[in-house]
Amino acid sequence: MKSRDGEGAVQRPLVAVVDDDESVRESLPDLLGELGFRSQVFSSAEEFLGSETVQRAKCLVLDIAMPGMTGFDLQKELAVRGKDIPIVFITGQKDEMVRKRALEAGAVGFLLKPFSDTALLEALNRALETA
Amino acid sequence: MAVPAEDSGEEARRLRRCINDLVGILALPAVWLGHSAPEIVGSLLDALLVMLNLDFVYARLASSAGAAATEMVRFAPAWEPKLGPQEIGETLQPWLRDDSQKVPPVVKKFLGERDMVLLPLQLGWHDEIGMIVAGSQRQDFPQQGERLILNVAANQAAIGLHESNILRELDHRVAQRTQELTSANEQLHGARAALEQAFHELRKSEAKLRRVIDAIPTIAWCNLPDGPNEFLNKSWHEYTGLSPEQSQGWGWQSAFHADDLPALMKRWQQMLLTGERGEIEARIRRHDGVYRWFLIRAEAFFEGSRLVRWYGTSTDIDDRKRAEDALNKARAELAMVTRVMTMGQLTASIAHEVNQPLSGIVTNASTCLRMLDASPPNLDGARETARRTIRDGHRASDVITRLRTLYSRKELVLEPMDLNEATREVISLSWNEFGTIQVLLKQDLAEGLPPVMGDRIQIQQVILNLIRNGLDAMSEVSDRPRELTIKTDLGESGSVRLSVKDSGTGIDPQIESRLFEPFYTTKRDGMGIGLSVSRSIMDGHRGRLWAVRNEGPGTTFLLSIPCSTNT
Repeated sequence: MKSRDGEGAVQRPLVAVVDDDESVRESLPDLLGELGFRSQVFSSAEEFLGSETVQRAKCLVLDIAMPGMTGFDLQKELAVRGKDIPIVFITGQKDEMVRKRALEAGAVGFLLKPFSDTALLEALNRALETA
Repeated sequence: MAVPAEDSGEEARRLRRCINDLVGILALPAVWLGHSAPEIVGSLLDALLVMLNLDFVYARLASSAGAAATEMVRFAPAWEPKLGPQEIGETLQPWLRDDSQKVPPVVKKFLGERDMVLLPLQLGWHDEIGMIVAGSQRQDFPQQGERLILNVAANQAAIGLHESNILRELDHRVAQRTQELTSANEQLHGARAALEQAFHELRKSEAKLRRVIDAIPTIAWCNLPDGPNEFLNKSWHEYTGLSPEQSQGWGWQSAFHADDLPALMKRWQQMLLTGERGEIEARIRRHDGVYRWFLIRAEAFFEGSRLVRWYGTSTDIDDRKRAEDALNKARAELAMVTRVMTMGQLTASIAHEVNQPLSGIVTNASTCLRMLDASPPNLDGARETARRTIRDGHRASDVITRLRTLYSRKELVLEPMDLNEATREVISLSWNEFGTIQVLLKQDLAEGLPPVMGDRIQIQQVILNLIRNGLDAMSEVSDRPRELTIKTDLGESGSVRLSVKDSGTGIDPQIESRLFEPFYTTKRDGMGIGLSVSRSIMDGHRGRLWAVRNEGPGTTFLLSIPCSTNT
């Protein structure tokens, strides 16, 4: 679990990143920092659920294909738990059906890897607006 | 008896007449030749009647075979009544019973009022041939000359009749013989006709059989017990263009492909010794020079326990063999593709493998730019993110290269190779990877291992995969020594085994079953070919890839690969 605070004392929104991909967990926090967010990374949905970030995160950047609990599973689980946290899905799967499913399930954003920093920022801002 | 003088002229005349008559009688047999008995006797009676001036002369001829006797009678012209032979015969019966050597009887009142002298004469030694009775009213009958004539006549008649009998008998016998011969001849003809018919039928059925043998679309042949050819059917001659003279004996060998003939002859010699049926495939040259594959089969034919012939067929299997080869090739390709992956999965897998470093590049580079644009610029951050970008760039390039070599659609080229040598090469090439994290490498490569059948590059990919997995598994380990043990030894039944053992974090039971799945990866960098592909490669080699948990920490991955066999 890494977390990185942005510069400055103003409370920046906390973004949770859940992805089993090491390079994502390595690179996203720095970008999120540059974009003006705090972040905490988790290597699995289970890890995230077991943490306090569940309560505190303002937005969830979520990988879909993961061993154990998938991104969709987590989305369902959060709904069951009544956790209304906006989700931006990130995935390498170019499948249109997956995209549809994600959006129908109420995702606020759906980004295909590799995604640009501006796309990410747009999605995150959207997420925060809905919160 | 004294003869009066005036009768001497008469006597001379009588004598002369007697001699003439004798000559006449003696000449009769020549006339009789070829005539039947009744004809002979008839002419004799005529002659006697006239010569002796008889009143009547009667004859009875015995006949053969119990048939009725033949009776004949001649009367002097003035005689009356002219009765039939049977009646005369009946009338004569009483007097003929007596011994005819007695003095001729004078019969009173013979046939009316006449007194007759009857003189019976035997024909033959007894009267087996017959009897002649001369009758005359003259009291002085018969005189000496007349008696002589009668006796000679009877004798001649006997001879003539006898000869006639003989002739008749001969004729009869000849006729019989002729009939027998004719009959035999007929039978012979019949038999010959039947034989000819049989031959004809045989030839017809031979021809039919020959037509059948020549009509069947397969080459058929017949060899002698010690091996040389006796007969080849039409199909052979049409296919090879060789004449019977060229093919018989051992001539047929010339039509066979030089590469196939040694094996064929070896098999043939074997079969000649054992008498067992057998088959072999070989190429036979067509009349236009093209070689085609044939299946040659032969079986011995026994009469009792004696091997008398070899019968065989040679069937064109060239199309089938080509089809088989093509099928095998297609199968291998299909297996290769299926085992490795479907095209869609392939692309997806490549995309997936490459995507990770690409994502990293984009994210890190974006971050880098932002950091440089910050005021003041975050140079440390920029440097770090730039470094990561370059690193990920290299990774991406590596993955693409490796995947490209791996998925180029050529068949696995299996050749005998030394697994130890290939392993050492992999280790030396990836040495720097060992260096970045402190890992103790232990090599335990067994000596004298037999060569294995493998595609060297692909096996090396798998080994590299296993090594990397092992290193990865230990990258987070800090509380114990990081040890990677690479070992080779003999596997079960004709295979060689390689194991890569780490002292890392071990396999999570939850993910254990998914280890070899196509999309699955736990890799920090997700590089290389992945366990799924590694397993496919091993399947293609008819080998295995599997993992076991160590007794201590970590996992051991094992692969087994079949040894190369003698071809």
